[in-house]
Amino acid sequence: MNGLDLFPFPKHRLQKTDLDLAASLQGLVEKQVMDRRLELKEDYEGLLKPSLGKLMAEIGLQKMFWPEKYGGDEHNQPAASYTVAAALEQIGRADVGLAFLAAHSLALQAALALEDNYREEQVAAVAPLFCEGNRPLIVSFVLPTLVEEEGAPEWRGKGFQVKAKGGAGGWTLNGKGVRPTCSGVDAGLFGVACAVEGEDEPAFILVPGDAPGLNRGAEFKKTGLAASRNADLDLAGVQVPAAGCAWRGDAGFFKLLSWYYLGLTAAGVGALLATYEILREWGDNRVIKGRGHIFKDNPLTAALMGEIAKEVVVDRLLAYDLAGMLAEPDAYGGDGSQALFTSALMLAHQVMASAEYTINRTMELMASAGYAKEWQLERYWRDIKTMQCYLGAYELAKHDFARWYYRTNTL
Amino acid sequence: MRTIDDFTRPLEYISPMDGLLGSIFREWVEKDVMPYRRRFDEDYMDHSLIHPPFKKLLGEYGLQRMIFPEDLGGWGMGRSNFLCVAAYRMFEEIARADSGMAMAFGVVYWPLLFIALEPHENRRLLEEFAPMFCATDEAVFGALCMTEPQGGSDIENVEIVKGNTIQTTAVRDGDEWVINGHKLWPTNTGGLARLMAVVCTTNPGSNDPRDIAVIYVKDDMPGVTQGPAYEKAGMAADRNGDVWYENVRVPLWYRAIGPGDDAKYFGEVMATGNMGIIAWISGTMMNIYERLLDYTSRKRYRGKPLKEDDGVAGLLADFAANIEAIRIVGYQCARMCDRHDLYGPLWDPGLVAKMRAQRYLCMDRFMDVTGKVMNLMDAWGADRDWDVEKHWRDVKMLQMVEGSKQLCQIEVARWFYECETL
Repeated sequence: MNGLDLFPFPKHRLQKTDLDLAASLQGLVEKQVMDRRLELKEDYEGLLKPSLGKLMAEIGLQKMFWPEKYGGDEHNQPAASYTVAAALEQIGRADVGLAFLAAHSLALQAALALEDNYREEQVAAVAPLFCEGNRPLIVSFVLPTLVEEEGAPEWRGKGFQVKAKGGAGGWTLNGKGVRPTCSGVDAGLFGVACAVEGEDEPAFILVPGDAPGLNRGAEFKKTGLAASRNADLDLAGVQVPAAGCAWRGDAGFFKLLSWYYLGLTAAGVGALLATYEILREWGDNRVIKGRGHIFKDNPLTAALMGEIAKEVVVDRLLAYDLAGMLAEPDAYGGDGSQALFTSALMLAHQVMASAEYTINRTMELMASAGYAKEWQLERYWRDIKTMQCYLGAYELAKHDFARWYYRTNTL
Repeated sequence: MRTIDDFTRPLEYISPMDGLLGSIFREWVEKDVMPYRRRFDEDYMDHSLIHPPFKKLLGEYGLQRMIFPEDLGGWGMGRSNFLCVAAYRMFEEIARADSGMAMAFGVVYWPLLFIALEPHENRRLLEEFAPMFCATDEAVFGALCMTEPQGGSDIENVEIVKGNTIQTTAVRDGDEWVINGHKLWPTNTGGLARLMAVVCTTNPGSNDPRDIAVIYVKDDMPGVTQGPAYEKAGMAADRNGDVWYENVRVPLWYRAIGPGDDAKYFGEVMATGNMGIIAWISGTMMNIYERLLDYTSRKRYRGKPLKEDDGVAGLLADFAANIEAIRIVGYQCARMCDRHDLYGPLWDPGLVAKMRAQRYLCMDRFMDVTGKVMNLMDAWGADRDWDVEKHWRDVKMLQMVEGSKQLCQIEVARWFYECETL
């Protein structure tokens, strides 16, 4: 019995198609990624890029929300959140970086194409980028973050990296040394949070990867998430048509980020399921304290293994709880609400911290094998930590929690 | 401007050569290691960047001679009761740049402790090996080969397992030992080690500690094969690999001390190893502090430098507080290793248990606060260029050497609570 079957989740809330998709993805990633990663390691061209192509374009995750008339699957009801959770935990089980990239695409699709958000003009402009052809479209975001510029406009304390100026012909974007959330080297579409010159309300503007004036730096080295080859960007007078503005104001950001956090949470659960499987094999076969003492039968190590299983159970249930909140937004503060955004951010941080804790403990149990690339565990450890960093600083997220739960108006 | 030198050290017992050693190592680190360390991960197999600074430090500066007696060309520190506090300072300075280098440096001496420390100095073996280390300006590395495929930390767990799982055999044949076996993970292997102290059994399956033998083997002896360096999450400067011994013949007198004493003094390598790990942790934290100070001064949140936010400052304070505490614990640990007259012999199970307790406590604190400050740095926390992630990756391995945390816990509980069946 693998982790998919063993650890409980609210199966009754998922459609048969969700479960079928998860089973299909499980088979695919085991064959496409897990069986080959000892040989290909973190090879982007040899392993990760082709896998991304299969998942996004061939299986069609990048078409999921878009209307059928544009070539999509039109799976655009709020309950698609369960599909996202079921799919991304399977992908994350094989490679957190691939799930991280898929989370970007699915979050943007949800923000633009969920039936409640639907704007025909915008969908008509964007959906073909996702649905036409058989190439994966890698989506990346540029979000407010920690900046060095004094006096930079802020969103919830963090500085905008890009400034936009509106005009009759559309938008002009400028930003230097901009840090995207993923794939600065490869992304085909950037969703850019912008401060708008002379206005208080921010804008979220979609910038095609080949837009003139968008310059990509060299790939920089980072801890994990090899599927995301990241690089800083310069935006020098990038021109975007008026329709490229996906939304103005906080609600759109809350909606996008809530779905994005669901994706990251599910990817984290995938890593936890993989960790369990690696540890289970270790515990079944390792002998300690002399001959005949099986690792999992020692009370001290068994207790820690039990705690690890508990973390996986709780985190998986939390991920599906978040999917449930997005599936029924009116019961949880409303779609695009600060309440739902805050809950999603909390749960994402909770699962990320738990995953870090769990993989750390598992590495300790496996000692040197936990650290060797051969056993694969260290890869999940690096990936989860990197994803946690990109999720954002927990110390600052706590201010978001306080803003909602304690109405701390000056933060 | 605050610097790393503003953190507390117990000045009443630092070594007399602390200032000189500190300045030599600080300069070497700044000039020969810092500019290259961000490329060390990709250099794990070749050591084309890692080896030159080692050549300078160990060979040209002569640090590899340190533990040998002066009349054999060494510096006589094996007889000093400041050996461990001096080592602490050196380890800390190197680890500030790269804890893998610090570990590789420490393990140069580790296998020699069996023969270089009083009261079990083995003059004949010191004379045998001194030219290898003292008569060259090339870097020479030692290795202590313990771990085996089937038992992981069992070898380090001498007190309970008593060596009965050791598969590497030493069979007496005339005036030679014939060694056969397979070791995993020793630091400074992967083709690097010139001299190895190999933990063997002279009677497979025996529960008698007198059958545990520590026998020296040179890498160029027939039958010794070192595999390539493992690929790991970090610690590129610490080369680990498989070592196979196939009918390796060494003189009988290459055994470190003798029946019973090899196992007894194994406690010394455990105690000093744990002390070294704390030094590598605190050195690493010094550099994280430097990078964090820079980062939180530059990056802005709510219109101010990040460090000026009250909520963030709480975490920054926690990090500084942990440096203060870990460093004091670490130096105390080193002093306990040096002052046998006050704290008992270095091989005593009680002292080993205390070292393990201090080491795993410091390690847990490191992983907790470093994980948090790495996350505080947002997307830049995972950047190679900000160095924190490198230290986070590297130090994790230190949690696993000399046995897992659970082994540490068992040893600590066994001694402090007088457990009889653990």
